[in-house]
Amino acid sequence: MLSNSTTLYIGNLSFFTTEEQIYELFSKCANAADGGGIKRIIMGLDRNTRTPCGFCFVEYYTHTEALASMRYVSGTKLDERIIRCDLDLGYKEGRQFGRGKSGGQVRDEHRQDYDPGRGGWGAQAQRLEVERRRAVEERYADAQDGPGAVAGGGEDWKEIETSEGKLKRGRSPEDEGDNARMGQRTRTDEVAEVDRM
Amino acid sequence: MSYNRHYRGGRRHYRDDEDERRRDVVESPQERMKNTIIRLGEVDPLQEISAVETSIRELAPPDICNLSESFHIGVTEQPYKIPFYAALLRLLHNNPSQGGDSIGADEISLGKQILEEFWKGFQAYVDKLMWRETRLCIHFFAHLTSAQLISTESFAALLQSFTAVLDEFGVSHGRAKRAALCAAEGLMIAGAVLTLATPTFSREIISSIQMYTETTTSGKWIVQPIVRLHSSAVTVENADELLDTALVVLKALESSDFVGPYPRPYSEYPPLDTSTFSAFVLPSVLVPPEVIELDGLSTEAEESEIKREEWPEYFLRLFGDDVTPDPNTPAGYAVRTDLLAIIDIFEVNRKEAARLLLEYPKWVVSGTFKPKPGAPPLEVEPLVTYDWQLESTLLETMLGASLVLPQSSQAQIYYDSLITEVCKLSPSTVGPAVGKSIRKLYSSLTDGLDVEIARRFSEWFAIHMSNFNFQWVWKEWIPDLELAVQHPKRAFMRTAAEYEIRLSYYDRVVKSLPEAMHAPEAHVLPKQAPGPDFLYDDSSKPHHDAAQSILNLFRGRAKAEDVITHLDTLRNTLESEISETENVNSLVRIISTQSLLHIGSRSFSHLLNAIERYLPLLRTLASGGVTASAGAGNPEAKADILSAAASFWKYNPQMVAIVFDKLMQYQIVDPTDVVSWTFLHVSEVDEFEADLKAPLNLSAFEWNLLKGALDKAIGRVNIARRRLALLRKEDDENRARAKANGGNMDVDGEAKSDEPVPEDPALAVAVKAFSSLTREQKAALSRTLEGFVSCLAPSISSSHPNPKAREILTENSWHNRANWGKDEWIAWETWGWYRHFCRAYSPYLRNYAATFTAVSFARFEGQSDPASDLLQKIWDISIGQE
Repeated sequence: MLSNSTTLYIGNLSFFTTEEQIYELFSKCANAADGGGIKRIIMGLDRNTRTPCGFCFVEYYTHTEALASMRYVSGTKLDERIIRCDLDLGYKEGRQFGRGKSGGQVRDEHRQDYDPGRGGWGAQAQRLEVERRRAVEERYADAQDGPGAVAGGGEDWKEIETSEGKLKRGRSPEDEGDNARMGQRTRTDEVAEVDRM
Repeated sequence: MSYNRHYRGGRRHYRDDEDERRRDVVESPQERMKNTIIRLGEVDPLQEISAVETSIRELAPPDICNLSESFHIGVTEQPYKIPFYAALLRLLHNNPSQGGDSIGADEISLGKQILEEFWKGFQAYVDKLMWRETRLCIHFFAHLTSAQLISTESFAALLQSFTAVLDEFGVSHGRAKRAALCAAEGLMIAGAVLTLATPTFSREIISSIQMYTETTTSGKWIVQPIVRLHSSAVTVENADELLDTALVVLKALESSDFVGPYPRPYSEYPPLDTSTFSAFVLPSVLVPPEVIELDGLSTEAEESEIKREEWPEYFLRLFGDDVTPDPNTPAGYAVRTDLLAIIDIFEVNRKEAARLLLEYPKWVVSGTFKPKPGAPPLEVEPLVTYDWQLESTLLETMLGASLVLPQSSQAQIYYDSLITEVCKLSPSTVGPAVGKSIRKLYSSLTDGLDVEIARRFSEWFAIHMSNFNFQWVWKEWIPDLELAVQHPKRAFMRTAAEYEIRLSYYDRVVKSLPEAMHAPEAHVLPKQAPGPDFLYDDSSKPHHDAAQSILNLFRGRAKAEDVITHLDTLRNTLESEISETENVNSLVRIISTQSLLHIGSRSFSHLLNAIERYLPLLRTLASGGVTASAGAGNPEAKADILSAAASFWKYNPQMVAIVFDKLMQYQIVDPTDVVSWTFLHVSEVDEFEADLKAPLNLSAFEWNLLKGALDKAIGRVNIARRRLALLRKEDDENRARAKANGGNMDVDGEAKSDEPVPEDPALAVAVKAFSSLTREQKAALSRTLEGFVSCLAPSISSSHPNPKAREILTENSWHNRANWGKDEWIAWETWGWYRHFCRAYSPYLRNYAATFTAVSFARFEGQSDPASDLLQKIWDISIGQE
């Protein structure tokens, strides 16, 4: 349900924008004292090249924070581009990859204009951007897919069990339960990213 | 005119756009009526009033509820139109046809019917303590009283029921402030008719507000935006306290027969026929007591939600009285009240807010603001000749609201984005006002601008520059590089540049700064682009091989258990390599943590992946002995992990905060560990920065770490509280149901229904979690207080005593601040953060006032020392004991 969603889809990012830049801007809407904060950021990647392709998901702990981002951050600039935020039903496995034919975002395949922050580089690249480009190309080369490829970001506080056996499993039974449920939803509730392009 | 096109029906922010579009298509006559009323005056208020009156009369039969609701929306969401709504309601009090068959003398006019209905809505606002709506309705009633539609006696009684709140025993400042404003603003608008009826009335209201404000002096001291550590006097130039200004304005109006600055379109209308008309008598109201949060029917006092403490509200002035209105004058107060209301009401739609702010001059009497350049000359003589600058006024009001201490009423980023929108709508006129505001704030850094205000200023600066191509004339600040390295101006340049880099990237920001600021000695820019600093990267570094062995396991995705086993072997090897003074366990923790962060250094997501994959390893490390079974952890081990993280990211302060946050989130460390670490170890992280840091220095960076930890602790208690309340409610319902069922099956015997319903095990867990987390919250707060106390009143034995912590507290020292060096400014800033800690967390600190006082302040008993006296004074004020 969007009415209690804690995830945002962020569009029109520069291909160079890093998760830390995104974190910096979106943390202004975080409200830790209310039990909130940024849970995780999932960078949208080109399916083939594993490089950022201009979108991401920002997941908070609370819906109020996601709403605040819609009000105060959507339509402002990040890395000199006006970014767009939409409430999102939540990240599902595989959604970090672009769905366009070329591997990137569908919308970029319909664009006619030259866009320096989004793949419009090459011969025209400014010197500054060459360095950023290199970093970007390498950063996500190790991006995995499949279950568990994307970290959860940490759940709410739980009493720590002190017996050794339980700890060694690494994740608590509740976490696994969550994952199983998530998996099920992925199958039954496909949300095409294409819809929002 | 673009106004209508954008506007689309006044309460746009209630619905989403799509919903609205649908409604526009099938608009019922009632909805059309509502929109007509809401849009009143968008082209020419004065002319439209009678046109709207006619269309209201034409829609038969009148739907009084709908009409009243439309007035409610108009009044509470567009307060700048209130005088015009009053005029409209005045016209609706006329009897349309004289002497017709059906209209008798006892016929109730449409206007009066609406007013009666409107009153019910007002009553509901009061009952629900919706203060803003209540106050704006009082504005409306005040105009209606001036227009003779409401009896003056009943309106006077209404205002008195609000001043009565000020006499309540133990009234909170928030409640008193809101009630006082209701009474004060009602009197400002209707003062002329009220004092005509009862000449002593204004005196009464004024003195009751004054008696209240006299009790708030110590509170003012702790939130005044300009810090004076040496003096208890509340002397603030360039800032005004909200209630104080209201009082000054009332007195000024009183001495000028309440000739106020408000438009009064109804004053032109012929008087009502007194033979058929009688003024509406407002029923009496009682302002209900503040509801103590009862959600979830929790019975324990500790489980109730903690409300934010309210303090006197200071608004900074940035411009002279000839440029922007002085809120201590009736006209200035009215302008600021309207602007603040727009900012607050339209928080949900900042673009709309920006547009309304720029269009504001059309709602005030002509001559209030300077006409736009190129605007046609006025046809009539302006009524006043203030000629204020709109853009500067807007900037001053928006920034003033965003810099209120201890926190602004809306999120900081809202004001930042609102300023951006206002700039985007009119760059050429707003731009210069932004520049002047920045310069004014910057120059007040020398005069003791509060540290939290300075922090918000640098955040806004960076956000603003990020939205406007990082164009700032930094070079005008080059002369300030001569100041002491920790001087607030230099600290500002440093923080502003750092925040810009976080939003952009190093090379981009470097490019926007003049050469003189590039040099490392300038201490404006970080020495290098933010990045990791892996201690063992270089093969010539000690323990390089050990780190490599761990890294190889991580890279090969070895299981956490295998890494733990490897660390045991490694420990034995290392033991033979190191000197006796080094602690091998500590070394293993540092190497392992650094290596793990190295694996996760590519991005925030990489960090999360690394932590999640090796949670068992981190827990083992945190537990102290490398392989000991994990429990709540060992404080030294956890300090080692934090130190390893802080030094790994020493060139990227943002990442330090992020890593700390996630280490708390994954319960590797607790908030108290972060607090302790910040006070004890932060200065050890970077030997190169040591000249900036030692003796113990609390700057915005350290404060941010403390705040992150405290808020995490508080947030967890809030989550646990909500969960507990929910479970209690469910449990109660289950019991009630069981009881009801038991009653039905009563036939067999009574014994059954007496059986206690077993308690939900989840409830027991929640109760336990809540109490553990409350304990942790208390520990984090206590540790912070203790940290401040030992660093500001250092004993001779403490590790990094700042010799200046006491010296700077004298008036002479403050006046000599031009000669202050690094240590003096460090001490000054740390005092500033202590003051902010106390006022920002006061609602929580109050809960533990007795314990904390005993723990942290008992040692000063019988001593008289300027530092301990000031620590105690700030503490006493913040817990409400002075």
